Amino acid sequence: MYQYDEFDQRIVDERAAQFAGQVERRFSGEITENEFKPLRLQNGLYMQLHAYMLRVAVPYGTLSAKQLRMLAHIARKYDRGYGHFTTRQNCQYNWPRLEDMPEIHRCLASVEMHSIQTSGNCVRNVTADHFAGVAPDELEDPRPWCEVIRQWSTFHPEFIALPRKFKIAVGTTPGVDRAAVAFHDIGVRMIENEQGERGFQILVGGGLGRTPYIAQLIGHFVPKWDLLSYLEAVLRVYNTHGRRDNLHKARIKILVNALGADEFRKRVEAEWALIKDGPLKLDPAEFERIAKHFAPPAYEKLPDAKAELDKLRLGKDRELARFVTNNVSKHKAPGYAAVVVCLKQKDVPPGDMTDEQMDAFAALSERFGFGELRVTHTQNLVLPDVRVSDLPALHAELSKLGLATPNHNKLTDLIACPGLDYCALANARSIPIALEVMQRFEDIDYQNDLGELNLKISGCINACGHHHIGNIGILGIDKGGVEHYQIMLGGSAGYDASLGEFLGKALPQEQVVDALTKLLHCYLGLRHSVEDRLIDVVRRVGLSPFKEAVYGPPTIRQGVAHANH
Amino acid sequence: MPKPPLKWIVTANFTVDGAVGYFTAARSFSRQVADAIVFASKEEAEAARLEAVRAEAVVTDPYLMEVVESDGKLDLLSARERIRSLGPTVPYGHFKPKSGAV
Repeated sequence: MYQYDEFDQRIVDERAAQFAGQVERRFSGEITENEFKPLRLQNGLYMQLHAYMLRVAVPYGTLSAKQLRMLAHIARKYDRGYGHFTTRQNCQYNWPRLEDMPEIHRCLASVEMHSIQTSGNCVRNVTADHFAGVAPDELEDPRPWCEVIRQWSTFHPEFIALPRKFKIAVGTTPGVDRAAVAFHDIGVRMIENEQGERGFQILVGGGLGRTPYIAQLIGHFVPKWDLLSYLEAVLRVYNTHGRRDNLHKARIKILVNALGADEFRKRVEAEWALIKDGPLKLDPAEFERIAKHFAPPAYEKLPDAKAELDKLRLGKDRELARFVTNNVSKHKAPGYAAVVVCLKQKDVPPGDMTDEQMDAFAALSERFGFGELRVTHTQNLVLPDVRVSDLPALHAELSKLGLATPNHNKLTDLIACPGLDYCALANARSIPIALEVMQRFEDIDYQNDLGELNLKISGCINACGHHHIGNIGILGIDKGGVEHYQIMLGGSAGYDASLGEFLGKALPQEQVVDALTKLLHCYLGLRHSVEDRLIDVVRRVGLSPFKEAVYGPPTIRQGVAHANH
Repeated sequence: MPKPPLKWIVTANFTVDGAVGYFTAARSFSRQVADAIVFASKEEAEAARLEAVRAEAVVTDPYLMEVVESDGKLDLLSARERIRSLGPTVPYGHFKPKSGAV
């Protein structure tokens, strides 16, 4: 993985020292909270309901064992013994003290980590496919491209005060999207043209929140050495024309949709023409220098393990068999597999991990790999380089940690924002709904029968839990001071990106999981086969049968409406 | 039965750790909502809030919060304020028990 050079280390060390001084001046009264707030936000420090919250960047979701141990140390010494992995592949702490921030930042800097640009109106952490570098279907590893973007966007003087925050995701697998690329301000997709040359499709204006949009294709084929100049042109158009008068209309998605994709593209092309042959043209030698950091590790020469995997999937150890079936993915190197470790344990908030689990997991990443792991945008972890022959031993170790739930891509592999239990913006709690779902639908055989399905829960319209793009989405709202929840159906974060639609009126908390039960029963009755996923059925038959399942037949619904009227 | 009248308290977050604080009759901040001074008049409450703003080395972003009093107890009117007062309703860390329902 990438190793800091002297410049990277220096800017992170200097920023840690600078923020330490700002914290000191806040305590001494030299600067007011109004003056301090933008400074702390530039360093990822928010004020939430009960405490500060610190967001630590995990660039493109890649962590080393050493870094995870440091995250565990910070959780143990400066927080309440846990961290929370987020839908942007970052790690958050919910209870840091302001007086400890200088030391926390020094700890992070000592392992090449920081919280710079994890908040504020700037380019945020660049995210990527969590199987980067090991997926057999990728054209090439996206992480060197992410690193190039990280270096370009970090402290970019022109883009440090954009109209609003700005998120970029990169995918390099044609026809597959494991990074929700179409729901970012810029989605970068590597493609190959008919001549076999590689370049990028640039999608712009995707996003969730109160105005969800699927990104539109602006750059049809950007030659790969021109990536940065094209991104710079997009950012310049946005920085110049994006709205600053209304917080809710300031994201680039609003600008793209106001201008229309064609006009937006024209403006980008005009700007790009001025800069494409300038200093931002990537030097292949410099790119190779960065890419070398991501060279494949020293894999053993192993035979193909398809037969061994099949044997494990059909084996007598049913727990192991379920785990291998659901949580183990193909790998580029023969005899190896990528293992998804779901942070969706019963009675534990999605994405949470204790310091002890982090320490133990770091050790597992060394024993069953090369000391590297990934964070997924679905709040899970990945061990990317596991020998197939090690899967039984790994499964046994994960079971001891409570991390062997075989539910990847199943109903209880849900994502949920922190919601009103922590978040100052939320209107309703998300985690209690998630916990109830995980309890009610714990039976993995039932989940396997339901097939591939995802559930995403947000506690407010800001959509940190991605409710619009869940096959099933749940949005928490405040209705007269009481938490209620709206159910959506039909969203997809994948290559077949789609936005869900609301099913009907909001339900009180105690009715939400019952409604899900009815909805899932309805799906099982409508599908043609096990391969006929919920998303396929919703796209084929629409919402009506699901509405009826949850709210009753239309005549009864209308009757109730009349009675209420 | 007539609704009890709306009253106000001043709340903020402590600067040192972000914990929730409530303005007290001693003109300081307590971490317990039961210690809060309750104002029957919004004007008096606003004056207290301005006093709290001047103590920003101690607390951050003080604001007025509506409450009602019944049987000598404070009733916090929103789920948000009840959760602020009690802490998260879900387990965290080493599977600590939840602090209380909303």
